[in-house]
Amino acid sequence: MDDKGKPDGIVLTEAQKKSRRERSIAIALALGVLVVLFFAVTIVKGPAVLVRPM
Amino acid sequence: MSVVDHNAIELSPRISEADVADYVALLKPRVMSLVIFTAMVGLMIAPDHVHPVLAFTSILCIAVGAGASGALNMWYESDIDAKMSRTANRPIPRGRVTRPEALAFGMTLAFFSVMTLGILVNWFAGALLAFTIFFYVVIYTMALKRWTAQNIVIGGAAGALPPVVAWVAATGSLSTEPLLLFLIIFFWTPPHFWALALFRSDDYARAGVPMLPVVAGPDATRLQILLYTGVLVAVAFAPWPLGYFDAVYGLTSLVLGGGMLALAINVYRRREGSQALRATRKLFAFSILYLFALFATLLLEVVAHAVAPSIW
Repeated sequence: MDDKGKPDGIVLTEAQKKSRRERSIAIALALGVLVVLFFAVTIVKGPAVLVRPM
Repeated sequence: MSVVDHNAIELSPRISEADVADYVALLKPRVMSLVIFTAMVGLMIAPDHVHPVLAFTSILCIAVGAGASGALNMWYESDIDAKMSRTANRPIPRGRVTRPEALAFGMTLAFFSVMTLGILVNWFAGALLAFTIFFYVVIYTMALKRWTAQNIVIGGAAGALPPVVAWVAATGSLSTEPLLLFLIIFFWTPPHFWALALFRSDDYARAGVPMLPVVAGPDATRLQILLYTGVLVAVAFAPWPLGYFDAVYGLTSLVLGGGMLALAINVYRRREGSQALRATRKLFAFSILYLFALFATLLLEVVAHAVAPSIW
């Protein structure tokens, strides 16, 4: 903040904030799906998950 | 005097306003839906039982891999896309997503789709998916598309591979059946895309893409469409007499193949005016239905075998 209370640096517009929030949520969901997928396959395969056929 | 004038350049970083829909558009969702469908058929006709979680994982990875190919294709072809009315609304020409953003997005998806398929399913399938992405992006997009009129003939191999990847994901090995599916899509691609190119030839000419109608002319393209349709109909019918697929598939293939051939003959004969345009559009639309119905029949055969094995 400067002396007049204005924020320094780049200030995002509402549209930029909204699109950034949307992209962040999408990335979080994608990571969540990846975690659930790896967990589910580990449960399904059991010890065989360590077997790596070519 | 200072060599660098610090006041001359004011750095203003570009803040992206791209939303999720722009990134979804980079994945080419319509192409992706066909990839998902053909891959599902490849997975379902495989003889091995696949756990639903592994089946879902395989299809998801193949779909994401196809999306990555689409994003990397749009990254490389943004100059062409901007010149063509069909593609001018894509995220990069519209200025919604930059080329480096599309490249990063595509490479990230390609990496995760291949690694996830390799780690969770099998490495043969993962390697084949990597090869498919490589073939579409490097061989088709970068090398063939701007160089030869045979671009979509050779490049069609990339679009034909998803059912093969799915079969390998299910079985861990290759066999004749997925190669038959590969050949069907491979020979389906030229008549499908040349029909599109016939009524979009101005677009392709403006962008400098050497599609067959631009390079060899519409009449030569019509002949090639007819010849490739003949081969396609024969290739699509062959699995029945060879004993790989059932009679329902064989008869469906015969009926649909007859329709495809009739429309290709129509395209060959009607060369002038609105009749020619209508004939080409009809073939293009029917070719999508043809491939969908053919693969749907295979899917129905699998379901029927599972539900009532004694009847089949």
